[in-house]
Amino acid sequence: MKKLMIVLTLAAMTAFAGQAFAHSPLMSCFDNGDGTVTCEGGFSDGSSAAGVSIHVTDGDGKSVLETKMNEDSECTFDKPEAAYSVMFDAGEGHQVKIDGADIVE
Amino acid sequence: MGSRNLLVALAGQPNCGKSTVFNLLTGARQHVANYPGVTVEKKTGAYADEGRRVELVDLPGTYSLTSYSLEERVARDFLLGDNPDVVIDVADASNLKRNLYLLVQLLEMEAPVILNLNMMDVAERRGQTIDIAGLREILGVPVVPTKAKKGEGREALREAIRSLADAPSHEHAFRIDYGPMERYIAELEEKLCEDPVLSIRYPVRWVAIKLLENDEGAAELLAASHPEADLVMTLAESCRERFREEAGNAAERHIAFTRHGLCARMAGRTVTIPTDNRRSLSDLADRYVCNRFLGPVILVAILMVLYQVAIVFGNWLALQVWPLWGALENFAADVLPAAGFIDDPLLRALGLWVVKSTTAILNYLPIFLLLFALIAVLEDSGYMPRMAFILDRLFRRFGLHGQSTLPMILGGVYVGGCAIPGVMATKAIPDERARLATIMIVPMMNCLAKVPLYLILIGAYFADTGGFAMFFIATVTLFMALPVAKLLTLTVLRKQPSAPFIMEMPPYHLPTVTGVMRRAFERVWLFLKKIVTVVAAVAVVVFVLINYPGLTENRRAHYQAMQDKSLDAFMSAVDKTGYQGRISRDDVLSIILFNESLKRAKQGVTDQTESNVINARFEADNPVYYAVVKRVGKDGKALNRALKKVDRVRKKVRREARAERFETSFLGIMGRALEPVTQWAGFNWRINIALLSAFAAKENSAATLGSIYGIDGGQSVQESMKAGEAGFTALHALALMLFMALYPPCVPTSIMVRHQSNSTKWMLFSIVYQTLLGLFVASLVFTGGKILGLSGFQTMWAFYGLCVAATLVMALIPTPEETEVAPLINASCKEHCS
Repeated sequence: MKKLMIVLTLAAMTAFAGQAFAHSPLMSCFDNGDGTVTCEGGFSDGSSAAGVSIHVTDGDGKSVLETKMNEDSECTFDKPEAAYSVMFDAGEGHQVKIDGADIVE
Repeated sequence: MGSRNLLVALAGQPNCGKSTVFNLLTGARQHVANYPGVTVEKKTGAYADEGRRVELVDLPGTYSLTSYSLEERVARDFLLGDNPDVVIDVADASNLKRNLYLLVQLLEMEAPVILNLNMMDVAERRGQTIDIAGLREILGVPVVPTKAKKGEGREALREAIRSLADAPSHEHAFRIDYGPMERYIAELEEKLCEDPVLSIRYPVRWVAIKLLENDEGAAELLAASHPEADLVMTLAESCRERFREEAGNAAERHIAFTRHGLCARMAGRTVTIPTDNRRSLSDLADRYVCNRFLGPVILVAILMVLYQVAIVFGNWLALQVWPLWGALENFAADVLPAAGFIDDPLLRALGLWVVKSTTAILNYLPIFLLLFALIAVLEDSGYMPRMAFILDRLFRRFGLHGQSTLPMILGGVYVGGCAIPGVMATKAIPDERARLATIMIVPMMNCLAKVPLYLILIGAYFADTGGFAMFFIATVTLFMALPVAKLLTLTVLRKQPSAPFIMEMPPYHLPTVTGVMRRAFERVWLFLKKIVTVVAAVAVVVFVLINYPGLTENRRAHYQAMQDKSLDAFMSAVDKTGYQGRISRDDVLSIILFNESLKRAKQGVTDQTESNVINARFEADNPVYYAVVKRVGKDGKALNRALKKVDRVRKKVRREARAERFETSFLGIMGRALEPVTQWAGFNWRINIALLSAFAAKENSAATLGSIYGIDGGQSVQESMKAGEAGFTALHALALMLFMALYPPCVPTSIMVRHQSNSTKWMLFSIVYQTLLGLFVASLVFTGGKILGLSGFQTMWAFYGLCVAATLVMALIPTPEETEVAPLINASCKEHCS
């Protein structure tokens, strides 16, 4: 049973190696030109991103807005005045961050 | 004889530089195909030699010529069936003792052999000298030294082929003395000689030895060509029995030991090893790598690196490569017929579905490439057999094989694998029964695609104990798979041929970059050809199943009314602006699509000037549409607001119509029909549909659940599932998770199972048994937990205990034949590893 312990140790060790999932999160954002920004999310395998958390933070990393993707995997929010970034957060290993400066009209 | 073509076979053990010799002789012109009916690669090439065409066939690299593995069987069948004029045995000169093992078997088959001592440069570097003339005398066959890597020895080898082929007859002076067994060999030989057909077609002494070895292939051969096969088999059995009593040793063990001993003596007489360097570097390394304590530690470390690089880094890489597949999707969206307001034209809907299904698989490509490259490194370096050796003792208790390790890791022994490469990797397992058992349990591992569903369910029902729940589902699968493997071995696989663990430890090699890359790309290409075409075909079938018979007239009219109402509202907004008369009702859909293609064009653009260029292009294309989409002027702003409303309605209508179509589809009907059976596992028809669609590809389950639970804004899938299923408890979720873990392999994996087991029967079996097992376990957990009044969390750990107990009990039941044939381990490893 010593060898069984080895397998168990192996399992436990991989547990700390962090989990990774190959269904990759995707997000693209657009400046609507009317003071709002729209982000569209999804997953590489076509899964819906409805209900996924969206964090909008300012330049210092402070939270500006917490919202969620709607049923169409979209979310629209008022564009912050200063520097900002948007994070698509579907859990550990499933995050995408886009810098506000890269979101163009 | 001068004008006839020559057929030359190239045999050799793995890692002896056989491919290099092949290239040396043919100049790398080769043709790769499979041997008929099996998945073993057949490489052929040819060269012209003094007006003759010499055709060279590269046999699979094998240590031995038993019929335990597919490769060995293929090699042997070729030697017996195709009667090559010359067989070149490529041997690693720096490890002559090990390489002679194959040679003596070739000689026993009375094949016209040339011994090619390749890698002479390595032997020289190690200070070894080989008495080539002495070797020639002992063996009675031509011996040709080469340094194929340096391109030396082509002429000598060609010359040897020429003269051996032209020699009038091949006298075989070489004969292994099996000592106390000779009596039985003679007895069998006498019986075999009675039949003229067999004795002409095959070397009689060889058949006799093979029968005493209890070789499957020889028995088949006998049955096919001897009129009294049963009688001979009975005699062979009695000889085996009598020998066993007399010598106190199984015949096959005696044969293997005699051969090994002979090889060692021959090598001892002809090879001079410098005294201070007796143990080669490989043996020195094995002292640590195969060490009782250090070995497992090194193994775990190597597997962790494998996991980190292939899965973790591979995921990151997959994300970097995604834009490529995204572009493919966008391209398809552009060229296919334009979308409609509610329904899309069939060609578009089907086309996008197929492309999407394919890109979902292509997304894994970087992971596969890394995996295949790492496996090639493990194989080329010679570590693979050592890994098998270390784990064989443990796995054998469950009817598996040391080499089942890699398939299980690839399949996701913890979390994060894919059954397709896992099943593919079972090819290397030489024991047919263990190979089938491995094929049957690999799909039970936690592949990446099962994870999203786990996450949803754990998030919804085990939120407080998420870590424990994840650990549970990640590890319980192994404790379910091992007892199942044993059960299968004891029952359905009982009759399958099994092999003792005889494995030569090849010397370590430094893998070359080109070799590894070539192998990785070859395998990826093979994977692409096989899987992607299948996925595309399956996607079409699934498309039909989830879209037809379609909406009723009544419902269609309902959605049409919603569309009309929103268009009316937009048109009345148009009438209040300067665009009155310039935008008609038919333009509305075009404007929406115009907006979408503008967005697609700008996807990934992060530079404002670049974006402006794209904007200008679209403005030039249609200034009116552009004005509405980009809010140009007061009218544009007003119409943009109205457009957004129409767009929202369109998305809503499309979403609802899709969900409705899905629920009333053929698949939906099946889901409802199954409810009476699945109710014991706690599954209602909605979950049945999700599970059915997951058969096409596991990824579908989460997406399907999402779309069925008609998610409302602001709610996550978890929340809406909770709200949508009032009676749904953690126990339901647990049953669902376990069912998903045991769920039948997805379609691409099933195809792979069919391919690797070479039988549709086994594929169907793997689908059916896993479904039934999944249903049984889910019902046991759900109904059992309910009767005992346990919570989901309690049931979870009760079940875990049950699985661990089952694993321990199963480990104690002896595997059939395990008692008879103790594993044979070659001397060098036995010294260090035991």
